[in-house]
Amino acid sequence: MKQTPLHSWHMRQSANMAEFGSYEMPLWYPSGAKSEHLAVITSAGLFDTSHMSVLTIHGKDSRLLLQRCFTKDLDNCIGPKKNELVAGRCVYGLFLDEQAHVIDDAIVYQFATDSYMLVVNAAMGAPIAEHLRQHSKKTEEVTVTDLTDKVGKMDIQGPASTRILSRLLANWQAVFDKMIYFSFKGTFDPHLLSAEQVHLQDGTPLMVSRTGYTGEFGFELFVAPEHIQSVWNQILTAGKDEGLIACGLAARDSLRAGAVLPLSHQDIGAWPFMHNPWLFTLPTDTDGGFSKQFLGAEALLHPGESMWTYPFAGFDLRKIVITEKSYVVDDQGNNIGTILTCATDMAIDRIQGTIVSLATPEDDGKPEDFAPRGLCCGFIRVNRQMEPGAQVTLTDGKRKIPVEIRTDVRPHRTARKPMAAMLP
Amino acid sequence: MKEIDELQLPEDLGYTDEHEWAKVTGDTIRIGVTDYAQDQLGDIVFVELPAVGDSFEKGDECGTLESVKAVSELYLPMSGEVVAVNTDLEDSPELLNQDPYTNWILEIKPANSDEYQELLSASAYLELLKG
Repeated sequence: MKQTPLHSWHMRQSANMAEFGSYEMPLWYPSGAKSEHLAVITSAGLFDTSHMSVLTIHGKDSRLLLQRCFTKDLDNCIGPKKNELVAGRCVYGLFLDEQAHVIDDAIVYQFATDSYMLVVNAAMGAPIAEHLRQHSKKTEEVTVTDLTDKVGKMDIQGPASTRILSRLLANWQAVFDKMIYFSFKGTFDPHLLSAEQVHLQDGTPLMVSRTGYTGEFGFELFVAPEHIQSVWNQILTAGKDEGLIACGLAARDSLRAGAVLPLSHQDIGAWPFMHNPWLFTLPTDTDGGFSKQFLGAEALLHPGESMWTYPFAGFDLRKIVITEKSYVVDDQGNNIGTILTCATDMAIDRIQGTIVSLATPEDDGKPEDFAPRGLCCGFIRVNRQMEPGAQVTLTDGKRKIPVEIRTDVRPHRTARKPMAAMLP
Repeated sequence: MKEIDELQLPEDLGYTDEHEWAKVTGDTIRIGVTDYAQDQLGDIVFVELPAVGDSFEKGDECGTLESVKAVSELYLPMSGEVVAVNTDLEDSPELLNQDPYTNWILEIKPANSDEYQELLSASAYLELLKG
């Protein structure tokens, strides 16, 4: 099993470790996955995400290659006006194959019109690099470099993230100025990717991206591997009085499930990418067609039989562990599909049927003494179209858990809060 | 994750290979889960208990422990009738993480007291954990 540069730190904390994407990663620390999940909602959490792969794409035909392989139309993707991707901005999308099956999801960062960075999932650096090389034409000038294990990455997520980072960054006012959702500043290696520099007060260069995988306000930080331990320690120290704690993959999974974010190769994968909550990743035009040609587009425009993927939320925190015996049952008792993700969002509960979060303002219905027990939530893939509010039952063959089809799960998420509201 | 030698394994309990413990308390037997079980499960967030009056055979599923990452069945270490359940766990399932031995889960009136002798001693259970 592979290890991240923080592996020995995780072991020293007695983290509960498990394999994920060929890396041995912390599931939770002794504080427990529940505390970690709640810390991100109420304060901040710090995640080791160095298992994720980073790639760079350089050369004058880089954009052409990305337009061919990536689902987002880089010329029409930013904001409601669909502006083009520019330096300092990033977008979330997918790499599909000819059958419109998902190879992986990714964030594409633009440094210059001929210089991009990609972040894909653990163990996907080499396959995506190979995929891109296969689809670049001989005449095209483009170089794909797989930086797997050569970039240190950690995510600080939660409403206190800006306050904590401001204590460590040199010139934090300038760094956070106009730093909108899905934008970034700095670079972890000025020779590789040139950008305006961002430094910690101790001089460490880093890339700060206002993105994450929790649905909450925060940043993904990229540093050279030799700096990761120091940056990690500095953030833990700076965040201590704010309640920041280290968080493992269990909290990451329960947070993202409540935020209706898919896990690649589990919620999206080797089946046609259609009838699911993430169609915003496609370059859909106002007339329902696509604004560009891309790999997988033909299959999407001429679909065969397909299944429907829906988010769900339960009525209490009980969940079903996904095995080959688990499935989804309709009200007639028929097996109608599979459970893709089933986790417990520990920050939410139902108040007279309505889902309320710890982050919900009291004016919006959070009781004064709100102590959520959590709700099970995740995604199912079923053989029929269903409406939000419809109920199905999840079962492992023994337990039966009723759940509701939803469009969203955890309310009052903070990821898109304006930066101005989060400054110290 | 606790190292094997960090685990608390009281000498006066009988253990099972499903990581439950049983303790003789007069005419009845109290049942809970071991330090190893709670450590492996992580934060226990829900405990599904049987009803008082239910009877089970040794090894039957009699409840469920649910943690943030897992759902684990509770198997009865000895045959008998449930005479009490620890209702504190309904509101505070985390008590099982905090002290898995003070916080018992259920109490049975054993159908056959001799079954207690078939349980593992603390040292035999420790050997089992060491593999």
